[in-house]
Amino acid sequence: MELKGEQLIAAPISDVWKGLNDIDVLAKSIPGCEEISRISPEEVHAKVMFKIGPVRARFSGKLFLSDIIPDQSCSMAFEGSGGAAGFAKGKSRVELKLAEGGTLVSYTTEASIGGKLGQIGGRLISASAKKIADDFFQKFAKELGGEAVTLESDTSKK
Amino acid sequence: MKAAAFDYVKPKALPEALSLLAEAGEDARLIAGGQTLLATLNMRLSEPSILIDITDISELKGITLQGDHLRIGALVTHTEIEDSELIAKHAPLLKAAAPHIAHRAIRNLGTWGGSLAYGDPAAEWPACSLTLGAIMIIHGPAGERRISAQDFFIDLYTTSLEPDDILVATEIPIASSNQVFYFHELARRHGDYAVAGLAAVAKKQGNVLTDCAFTFFSVGATPVMAIQAQEIVNGQVVNQDLITKAVSAARSEIEAIADITNSAEAKQHLIGVLLERGLKHLVS
Repeated sequence: MELKGEQLIAAPISDVWKGLNDIDVLAKSIPGCEEISRISPEEVHAKVMFKIGPVRARFSGKLFLSDIIPDQSCSMAFEGSGGAAGFAKGKSRVELKLAEGGTLVSYTTEASIGGKLGQIGGRLISASAKKIADDFFQKFAKELGGEAVTLESDTSKK
Repeated sequence: MKAAAFDYVKPKALPEALSLLAEAGEDARLIAGGQTLLATLNMRLSEPSILIDITDISELKGITLQGDHLRIGALVTHTEIEDSELIAKHAPLLKAAAPHIAHRAIRNLGTWGGSLAYGDPAAEWPACSLTLGAIMIIHGPAGERRISAQDFFIDLYTTSLEPDDILVATEIPIASSNQVFYFHELARRHGDYAVAGLAAVAKKQGNVLTDCAFTFFSVGATPVMAIQAQEIVNGQVVNQDLITKAVSAARSEIEAIADITNSAEAKQHLIGVLLERGLKHLVS
């Protein structure tokens, strides 16, 4: 599955970058985030309650950052395990650009989902991923004191 | 696979069910037909600590004609809707849609309210309730409130129901004598979730349709009305030219989301296919 999107956040680039690297801001922005800790500058661990439709599964995941260019871009690799429910792993690239009215955040994510979550939830996995991404940016923008405008978000199966 | 351990209670009355639900909060799930919930529990995709079985609560049962609307209780099964004379007469769209829901064994147990509260964007009842302008009757700790179908379906699997709410029934305005309807879904096999579907009603006079309501399902995160296409068709003579205009409006106003086997483009295309067939059927 591939997920792409663009969000305009009404905050300066440096604030958005700081926010994306601040685990307290992330904890409040990630839907269902129960625990988050930074192991090293490049590694973050989190526990997330994934709650969508009939599914309520607790995922513990790891996030590895690379190619970090402050105020510009970074790459992320992630893997999460939800016990009996299944697992997810993938990579994501995030870029920040100066735009009228704030900062333009564009992201592309490639993820694969396995286990029972993949079998049962597969039909609506793209729609679920889009909803989670949109929820995240809404909350994230609120944390930075602004509003998020979804310019484009689009999922496709790969 | 077997479900994780949970407690089970079966209250006899609505107030008792509401207080049990308020007490247990997010750890509780309501169970009626169980056609989605039980599969999820057995797969351990969800592990509630308590199931509240609402199937003994009489306020949630039955289909009744009340003045100019039908009241459909949340516990009414898909089969009851399929076989009801009141439904056939006053909400024929629902009768046409019922056979498309999964298979007989599932229709015998699955419920109207369960399907609405679950809010699956590919399900038949959310789309039909939107097309028919249904009103959801919801009971919560603060009493009763009524919400139109339009405001009820918020997002993917997300309705305006709070965790301590129970959907009690739905009111549907009865069909006028000149109402025409069309229900169709494109699926790979009968009983599968639709790749795309359309639930449509209108009032017909000669070749002119008014009060059009066209709801597409299984194309986005919720069932979605083609508002612009409805406006194009309302009050006009339906001919090929008008159909072409309405089809292109519907295709551009609805933003389809891909699913695991079908691209967004394919769904966008099928929206037009369904609308063209639907309009031809409605005026025939």
